[in-house]
Amino acid sequence: MSDQADPVRVMVVDDHPMWRDAVERDLAQAGYDVVAVAATGREALVRFAATRPQVVVLDLQIPAPDGVQVTTEIVRLEPEVRVLVLSASGEQGDVLAAVTAGATGYLVKSASRAELLAAVRRVADGDAVFTPGLAGLVLGEFQRRSEAPPDDRAGSALTDRETEVLRMVAKGMSYRQIAERLVLSHRTVQNHVQNTLRKLQMHNRVELTRYAIEHGLDAE
Amino acid sequence: MSTWSSPAATAVENRLFRALAVLRVIVLVNAIGLNVYRAGNFDHPVAGAGCIAVMVLWTGYAIWAYAEPRRRTVVLLTADLAVALALLLATPLVKGDAFRATVPGFWIVGALLAWSIHYRMIGGLAAGTLFAVVDLTLREHIRQSDYNNAFLLVISGSIVGFMCGSLQRMATERDAAERAAAMASERARLARVVHDGVLQVLALVQRRGGELGGELAELGRLAGEQERELRRLIRAEDVAEVGEVGEENVDLVSELGRLERSGTITVSAPAFPVELPAAVAHEIVAAAGACLDNVRHHVGDDARAWVLLQAYPDRVELSVRDDGPGIPAGRLEEAVAQGRLGVSESIRGRIAALGGTAALVTGSFGTEWEIVVPRSAQDLGAAS
Repeated sequence: MSDQADPVRVMVVDDHPMWRDAVERDLAQAGYDVVAVAATGREALVRFAATRPQVVVLDLQIPAPDGVQVTTEIVRLEPEVRVLVLSASGEQGDVLAAVTAGATGYLVKSASRAELLAAVRRVADGDAVFTPGLAGLVLGEFQRRSEAPPDDRAGSALTDRETEVLRMVAKGMSYRQIAERLVLSHRTVQNHVQNTLRKLQMHNRVELTRYAIEHGLDAE
Repeated sequence: MSTWSSPAATAVENRLFRALAVLRVIVLVNAIGLNVYRAGNFDHPVAGAGCIAVMVLWTGYAIWAYAEPRRRTVVLLTADLAVALALLLATPLVKGDAFRATVPGFWIVGALLAWSIHYRMIGGLAAGTLFAVVDLTLREHIRQSDYNNAFLLVISGSIVGFMCGSLQRMATERDAAERAAAMASERARLARVVHDGVLQVLALVQRRGGELGGELAELGRLAGEQERELRRLIRAEDVAEVGEVGEENVDLVSELGRLERSGTITVSAPAFPVELPAAVAHEIVAAAGACLDNVRHHVGDDARAWVLLQAYPDRVELSVRDDGPGIPAGRLEEAVAQGRLGVSESIRGRIAALGGTAALVTGSFGTEWEIVVPRSAQDLGAAS
């Protein structure tokens, strides 16, 4: 979707200078326009508002506000922004929270340079970067929600087909392999995967709305 | 004697001396009232009035003096005791030898309890005994009530002293426990900061090593292994801290994390801990490990494999998949005929012993073990 003439505008958020520099250099070499870098959540929010990048490569473990809060805030400011979570923390709960808050990709920091660039490209194109690890987390989350009392459930359970596709992603199958095995088009598989993410995030929006109504924030 | 000089012990003592200040006023008013009521018993009323004046002045001074910890010296406590004793000894002189009630009366408990509070049981016992002996020796005739009063002085001095000591010890211990807890949580916070830094560096070494190749790639691989191991330890520690896992249960998610290998083996699992009895979890991990060994053996050392754990209220499902060419039709039957199905049978056997099933699916998509193990009702704590 990115124009040939206009490089994709990226912001890198990480409190470790080594990492920030490494990621910035890799992205710049690959032709991305790194419009801002930030070391803390506060810096990230200020510089995001000033530079409006299209893609944010975000570490979750940063000085306050943390990566999950930053994701929530920038997605609220600019719903079209793409957030790629890059985390070494192994904090599975945080990754799930960030994705629920609107991040569309998750990569561990040990991923190679090529994997990082591929992930940024896909996120920039509007695709979800669904690693097997993230698929496992999302499957677990929908399973957990389905066990909740009916009152607490959002109306967005996964269809059987979506669960099936997600399970295959979690087992390391590529979209092409899944399409072959289920006799679907590549695009359909991709849509199923996007839908699971959308439902996960919608659940979050439903909860936010309910919270707002319950607390009278929707007055007027 | 550090127990008695700790800030917590001093705080207890301050509190008790504040209570004693109130008591001193009460016993003073009581003593003045009784002496005024029995003013006719005094042989020397002026000297009697002087005694009462001494009591009023000393009470005021003592309340002021004991308010500050550094003024509670041996001199002050000895003077307190001496004034009370002097008033006792003055009684026969101002009231005559046949007196019944002493001039200070119960006012002397001010000095007695000061000794109990400051020198605890030994101090209370010593001061109580001293007062009792002096009181009894002054009297011409010792009546039952005199003996009872004397006995009460000794007993109450000792008991209050004992209780004061206990309170101070408990306060000191509670203080130490609180400090230990605060230190532990500060250590945990620092450990988190350090761990995060170490994880970042290990991940960076792994990434750059892989890019540069050669010997550095090996270094990167080792860094990656350490990163994963440290991450798994932190996760296991967090779960243990929160107390989500019972004593004999372990978190299958962090146990499976051990199987992960950078670049080849990926483990996917839910974000919540999956609690299972340790023996069951270890069998499942061992079975998964055997599946992965099989992959390495049949597909190659750098074969990619994926482990997926899904937890349901009534069961856990584990999948181990490789990307290999699959097993050609007839190959399994052939292996059975040749008695070479040892590994598969051992995996099935392990899982069957847990009441579960293990099935092997193979095709152009690779080879996949599907393992299902039922959960008993008592393991459900974490998932529900």
